[in-house]
Amino acid sequence: MTEGSNLPVQPATRVDPITGAVIQGALENIAIEMGHKLMRMSYSSIIRESEDFGAALTDAEGRQLCECKMSTPLQSGPIPGYVRGVRERFAARGDVFRPGDVIIHNDPYGGASHGPDVAFLVPAFDGETLIGFSVTTAHHLDIGAHTPGSCGIVDAVDAYAEGLQFKALKIVDQGRPNDMLWHMIRDNIRISDLVVGDMEAQIRAAEIGANRFLELVRHYSRDTVTGASEDLMDYSERLMRAAIRDIPDGVYKAETFIDGFLDDPDPSRRDLKIAVTITVKGDELEVDLTGTAPQVPDRPINMPFEGTVDCAIWLTLRSILLDSVVYGPIPQNSGLTRPIKITAPKGCLANPIFPAPVIARFCPGNALADAVMKALAPAAAEHISAGIGNLTVIAFSGVVNDQQWVHMEILEGSYGGRHGLDGMDTVDTLYANTRNNPIEDIESHLPLRIMRYELREDMAAAGEWRGGVGSVREFVYLTDGGFSVEGDGHKYKPWGFDGGADGAPSALVQATAAGERIELPSKVPYRKAKAGDRLIAYGPSGGGYGPPLKRAPQAVLDNVLDGLISAELAREQYGVVISGNAVDEAATKALRTGRRASK
Amino acid sequence: MRMIGVDVGGTFTDLVYCDMETGALAIHKVSTTPDDPSRAILQGVAELCEQAGVAPGSVDYLLHGTTTATNAVLEHKGARTGMVTNQGFRDIVHIARHQRVEHYSIMQELPWQNRPLAPRRHRKVVRGRLAPPKGEVLEPLNEEDVIAAARELKAEGVEAVAVCFLFSYLNPAHEDEARRILQRELPGVFVTTSSSVSPQFREFERFTTASLCAFVGPKMRTYVGKLDASLREAGFSADLRIMTSNGGVATPAMVAEKPVMTLLSGLAAGVLGGAWIGTLSDRRKLITFDIGGTSADIGIVVDGRYAETDPRSTSIAGFPLLLPMIDIHTIGAGGGSIAYVDAGGAFRVGPRSAGAAPGPAADGRGGAQPTVTDANVVLGRLDKDDFLGGSMKLDAEAATRVIDDLAGRLGLTRQEAAEGVLTVINSNMANAIRSRTVQKGLDPREFALVAFGGAGPLHGAEVANMLGIPEVVVPPYPGITSAMGLLTTDLKYDTIRTQFQVSGKIDLVRLNADLTAMERQLGQQFAADHLDAASFHFVRDGDLRYVGQGYELKIPIPAGELTELSLVEIWRLFHEAHKREYGHAFAQNPIEIVNVRVTGVGAMPKIANLKAPEGGSFAAARTRVGQCVFRIDGALKSFETTFYRRALLPVGKIFPGPAIVLQMDSTTVIPPRWAAINDAAGNLILSFDGDAR
Repeated sequence: MTEGSNLPVQPATRVDPITGAVIQGALENIAIEMGHKLMRMSYSSIIRESEDFGAALTDAEGRQLCECKMSTPLQSGPIPGYVRGVRERFAARGDVFRPGDVIIHNDPYGGASHGPDVAFLVPAFDGETLIGFSVTTAHHLDIGAHTPGSCGIVDAVDAYAEGLQFKALKIVDQGRPNDMLWHMIRDNIRISDLVVGDMEAQIRAAEIGANRFLELVRHYSRDTVTGASEDLMDYSERLMRAAIRDIPDGVYKAETFIDGFLDDPDPSRRDLKIAVTITVKGDELEVDLTGTAPQVPDRPINMPFEGTVDCAIWLTLRSILLDSVVYGPIPQNSGLTRPIKITAPKGCLANPIFPAPVIARFCPGNALADAVMKALAPAAAEHISAGIGNLTVIAFSGVVNDQQWVHMEILEGSYGGRHGLDGMDTVDTLYANTRNNPIEDIESHLPLRIMRYELREDMAAAGEWRGGVGSVREFVYLTDGGFSVEGDGHKYKPWGFDGGADGAPSALVQATAAGERIELPSKVPYRKAKAGDRLIAYGPSGGGYGPPLKRAPQAVLDNVLDGLISAELAREQYGVVISGNAVDEAATKALRTGRRASK
Repeated sequence: MRMIGVDVGGTFTDLVYCDMETGALAIHKVSTTPDDPSRAILQGVAELCEQAGVAPGSVDYLLHGTTTATNAVLEHKGARTGMVTNQGFRDIVHIARHQRVEHYSIMQELPWQNRPLAPRRHRKVVRGRLAPPKGEVLEPLNEEDVIAAARELKAEGVEAVAVCFLFSYLNPAHEDEARRILQRELPGVFVTTSSSVSPQFREFERFTTASLCAFVGPKMRTYVGKLDASLREAGFSADLRIMTSNGGVATPAMVAEKPVMTLLSGLAAGVLGGAWIGTLSDRRKLITFDIGGTSADIGIVVDGRYAETDPRSTSIAGFPLLLPMIDIHTIGAGGGSIAYVDAGGAFRVGPRSAGAAPGPAADGRGGAQPTVTDANVVLGRLDKDDFLGGSMKLDAEAATRVIDDLAGRLGLTRQEAAEGVLTVINSNMANAIRSRTVQKGLDPREFALVAFGGAGPLHGAEVANMLGIPEVVVPPYPGITSAMGLLTTDLKYDTIRTQFQVSGKIDLVRLNADLTAMERQLGQQFAADHLDAASFHFVRDGDLRYVGQGYELKIPIPAGELTELSLVEIWRLFHEAHKREYGHAFAQNPIEIVNVRVTGVGAMPKIANLKAPEGGSFAAARTRVGQCVFRIDGALKSFETTFYRRALLPVGKIFPGPAIVLQMDSTTVIPPRWAAINDAAGNLILSFDGDAR
């Protein structure tokens, strides 16, 4: 008997497994090339440094075939939704896709993630036949809202206040650029040179994808590529179903809260509940958001059901159930989502009704992702982290020598502790995975100075595996300017798991040149800053995992030696006594025994 | 002039001797001694000299490719490393770019947090701060802080320290001063600065590069010193030169100071060897294709110029490395790559490898999983009785057994499964080549593929087929092409300075002053290496981008005093390069010079043309005729295939495929519709019959 006899068997497929493997490689390669070129050609740091962009191919029905592995999940994930939204709009208007078209779309009620995430779709044609769409998405620095920048627009009262809405418009019509539309964009968007440059880069990258896809189809025939793509979707679906089957059938619930507008006198805008009920039955899973707070009709923290809510849920489930470190790379395509059903009552925070504003949905969406993980935690304890620290986004802006400048910075969170692993410190969490901007780049190009960027000390949530630690970052204005902020997690602490301590919330302070220290809430509409003013952002720390008294004394010592926690905290939280540079074994044993007994 | 090249690999240490005057050549291979690689080197060079009949003392140069620094990083076995950095910025190397390695993973580790090079306890902060645009001093360096840091580091027993300050690339004064204090306070400790290692912006990447330098510093300094001394003891007086990641070599003194230069040197020699081989047969555009047991390494060479990585794409063990490197694209595809059906039922080949142990089933050492080598055996392409010059018998039955098992799981016939393994692995390799050619605006159809390493010649023609590459060059000794590459290069030292200057507002005085200063600095370095002015020259480049972009393209800058006119030409070249690389140029947009680079090239003697092959006849070369399976027009077909012994092939005579050419260190497959010729340079040139494509 050979070693291989228990190994998996190739299931029935439309295309032979070898051609299937070759086509999979080719599709992934196309998406990588699209992303590679977009990143390198684009102008604004939000795309090229933060990597807040997406690139993917879909078939003619909008089913995702592949995505670029460099892109951020919240950008590539919604692409099938964008295509669906565009197709619906076209059908309703009686419009037709033609070779040479490029379509611009950012309608959050038509599949888009939110207004600043603009998609460009290039329909790919084999002769007269539509064979698919090549799509790039990217976060743009400005989209023509009422205050500078495209984040921190936290006071938009409806969808019209959020900036320009592009609902499936042909920006290039059979090869002819729609100049009037371009003029309108330039006239209504700040720093339009940068934004238009990024948009052009997006179009070029999408065109490359469409050409490569056509070459592939011509080489293998449409039936073969379609068949191989459907095989790939079945493949991803099979893996997801098998992973769901491993979770015991049952109903799993969790609730979390977001800050909302902590300084708002209206209580319906604060302390908003997110409720998640997950029902696992066999190889299918349903996520129901009933019980989530009603939408806020005139503040933009509502989450588009398609484009934000669905992506947040898919991403979290995938990261837990098909963790890529455990399972290796699995093709990201529409097959992965087939066994997952999502419901949310119309008119709730997670399924708003047009024209409820949504532009600042980023932080609520990540809190929703965290709530999904919390619900699943008891059933998948070895695959989750304790509560994550949410992110904060700041738009800095000003005018220097009559030139407007806008800079977006995404401030990282941190992960909770994990089974066998401490939480990741100072990283983007769950559905976000962008990059910070180098200090040396910011200071060389903007009238800002960074005075501090390091870990917060004595903030790690205690646990057998401690929570990740947040950062502290301090910005100084060198000239007068302004900022706006969308964040969350100033009030509610990331949850500890299985006896681990809760994490620490984030905070934001404006320390004025005049010496005043102003504690700001997590959402700040455009606000002025004077030269010399400092903005100090304290990042959140994720929750602890497991009882702190079970943490290995050596690991506690390491944290003390590294200055992450003080020797006093080691004693207080962990019952570990440190003397000099070593653990006092006897004293630790005595202290821990006493603590356990007194519990 | 006599030279020896020594390339230390994971399993074997390859050696090559060449006499530049006579063209005499000798090659040798010994097992690597991983605990102390110098043992195998000493044994190898002694045996090689004996074989070549030369006295050790008569060898002029010994060129050495080493993975000592690489392994220290990969195995995380470096020095106890400290850092001195700005107050308020203790954790730049811990926060990194705040991006996770994996999008879809809760249980992932972050190398910079789970395996820090300089742990937080050894990262000390001091007062002192510089600012752009010129490195102005906002706050003077506080020397007491540095002294206090030094004393703490001493008490903690660190062996190496990286000094890392913000904006030091604009003004190294604070770093230099701190280094002076640390060297005084910490005698014997390896001290480096971020501005001396890589003076360019992006603090996380630069600080990490400096940390890597410190991390490998003590080990490399010891290794190079010890090797040099042992060679002298063994009677060698040859000058030792060490291969660096930029494709050049450096003196032991240089490597002792900047050991980080050698981090990716192991792969560079392969590209150099491939490039040299291609040039011997007068090919100007080359794709070097080096396949061993576990990986395929791909490089691009156009008119003798190597493609280089952009500084944002180079990394080792998950740590970014901000240094000029030859762009070598490595994928997990080689003779030992395992074919399997994964948990979801998809067919995959590699990157998992059976490695050297247990190896492919055909090796007969207990390997039970189907590999690429087994597929080659089943298809008849590897001769079970004549592998590695007959020194090793292949177990064809074992190979058939594991491929049959795979075929059963795939629902295919034996031959379909075996050929499928090759199709998938070849297509992985073709995709890798595409990413370095088609995706960068280069047309692979204008290139020749230089196929070497043990398995390159087995796959070269079929991979070329997938890409429309018309020609494959197989070197005379495919297995030691990397070691030969060591004998083809020059001393190469790089310098870089960040400019951030924009077209229309260029400060030509500053630009010229910087370039002159960089060349002066390199000139001093070469003087220290005892090179006279006639034997070195400078190559200038700029990293340019459209204002606002974040990625730069490397554009040549002319020698001499730059003028407004030279700038016009530089802008033109940039627009052109942008169009070539991305398919589009933004002609009206302003351009930013981000960095200027000067590479100093100090001439080294090089390997001469190889002795022309003596040549035999087809009759003498023919060993047998066997059945080999190939895919033609989509269908599998068995062909009568002639097997030849390479050493006995005639020179300058074309022979048609299908054919297999056997030699000591490799096997070359010439598929149907391809033909081959043994050329005067000793290369085997495979070419596609244009009509049939």
